[in-house]
Amino acid sequence: MDKRSMSPMNRKALRDTLLFTLPAVVMVLIAIYIPFVMSGFYALTEWNGISRNPRFIGLLNFRTIFSSGSPEFVNALVFTFKYSALFIIFSNVLALALAVALTKKFRLVNFLRGMFFLPYIMSMTIVGFIWKFIFTQGFEKLYELTGWAVWNLSWLGDASLAFYSLTLVGVWQSLGFYIVLYIAGLQAIPSEILEAASIDGANGRQRFFRVVLPLLGPSITTCIFMSLTNSLKVFDIILALTKGGPGGATYSATLDIYREAFQNNNYGLGSAKAIVFFVIVLILTQIVLKIFERREVKQ
Amino acid sequence: MDARYEAKYAAKKRGLHAAFLIVVVLLAALYIYPVFLMVDNSLKPFKEILTNVLALPSHLEWANYTYVIEKMEYFRLFWNNVVITVIGIAGIVAFSSMAAYILDRRQTPVTKALHTFIITPMLIPFQTIMITLLKFMNIIHLNGTTWGLGIQYWGFGIPMATFIYFNFMKSIPTEIDESAMIDSATTFQTYLMIIFPLLKTVTATVVVLDVMWIWNDFLLPLLMVNSSPASKTLVLAAYNFVGSLNTKWHYALAAMVLAILPSVIVFVFLQRYIVDGVVAGAIKG
Repeated sequence: MDKRSMSPMNRKALRDTLLFTLPAVVMVLIAIYIPFVMSGFYALTEWNGISRNPRFIGLLNFRTIFSSGSPEFVNALVFTFKYSALFIIFSNVLALALAVALTKKFRLVNFLRGMFFLPYIMSMTIVGFIWKFIFTQGFEKLYELTGWAVWNLSWLGDASLAFYSLTLVGVWQSLGFYIVLYIAGLQAIPSEILEAASIDGANGRQRFFRVVLPLLGPSITTCIFMSLTNSLKVFDIILALTKGGPGGATYSATLDIYREAFQNNNYGLGSAKAIVFFVIVLILTQIVLKIFERREVKQ
Repeated sequence: MDARYEAKYAAKKRGLHAAFLIVVVLLAALYIYPVFLMVDNSLKPFKEILTNVLALPSHLEWANYTYVIEKMEYFRLFWNNVVITVIGIAGIVAFSSMAAYILDRRQTPVTKALHTFIITPMLIPFQTIMITLLKFMNIIHLNGTTWGLGIQYWGFGIPMATFIYFNFMKSIPTEIDESAMIDSATTFQTYLMIIFPLLKTVTATVVVLDVMWIWNDFLLPLLMVNSSPASKTLVLAAYNFVGSLNTKWHYALAAMVLAILPSVIVFVFLQRYIVDGVVAGAIKG
């Protein structure tokens, strides 16, 4: 519509709209859109971050990322997928089990929920340090006391064990978050439905798997989705616990992007990795969302 | 069914319940044990940590804390965190609620496009843009200071906050603004005096989510203020401090306790509000 043909009423409405959204639009533009477009541009260049003129090299960075000569990013992606898979399974299964236990009525229940939620309010970096202390000092003493070989393993120094240690710490930190989401979901199930199932002769297990679980669909979707996006971005915990070691075995995708840009000073290559990471996260989250939303039972 | 069977059944049920309680309490105790060990050992002299991690301290070594508070400049860090968080939250709440209000009330092609523009960045992981963000913030001089960092959080917080506010806005009847308009209030006055006060519950959700995020955030401060000592955040300084201590666990543990103490204190007093906010944010977000 031509601006001059607008009535004063409409023009005022448009002005209000623009004024009210201006701060949000400007801030989002500055913090996200401009850097995003810049990433897309620098991904096509060779650039050390300092020189004024990045050299345009087309898609060469993307070829480098997936060439066999430099497997770091592909390895980091594999690590991230494995971590995410394990993280999603453990945090959802354990959270659901604990949520069922913590929706029962007893005096201590709020206090216990608080205990499980507590690590979630802590900084992930500090959580990483707490467990570094446990894995080193704590386990050493436990080995002295019990003599069990399990305490004497190198939980942070051995590549495959370090993977499980990181998963354990990641799950430990955020389990409380998924517990409270499942508790909210469980409490939203009308008790009449459960009573009706009991009257129809369903035992506890049948009630849970045939009635509760299907009705929990929206909560499951939310928790799977959240645990997926959070675990794909894992960063702080690794930096605090292993710094990507031993021997680079625990580099996640995000940590590898960080290393490429800020430690190796390959800003162009780092930006290209960042774009690949973005595309992968987008595709994975959309697929997971579609699968789970289709399976939800409509109440 | 005879009475004896019933009594036996009830006793069995009570027994099961007691067993269940014991298991859950033990699990919770085990779960929180690493935190307990951290606090326990932070109050020991260095030697006792080495000889017996699992024991209680023979006496409370507060010197660990006084050393760390002084060395880390704890109170300044705490103040930095407060400044960054307050600036961040104020901007996110003000700008998101304003935008969401007009986007909900004027359903035109323009507002639909703006709505998409503002909330789409929720799909972009921070790590995708962190490299060029640092470059760009250098250019526009928003890095290296507490207030600059606070302002940066606006851009990262607004998409989700606008999304949450927008979904809530539908539940406020438009008759309310219409009657204000008849009293010849401007759109801004209507928003500020009539609408914003009605957003209390959803503002609480946004504040809880964003305070937890900004207060504990690590990567953005690492990128933006790590080389300017005066503007460091609590978590970032604790990360550097602990990293520099190597195995001096008595100081490291005290620093860790001090870094999480503010969050824990707030959580103890506001547990219900925090949990409600987190749940509401996840379901709406």
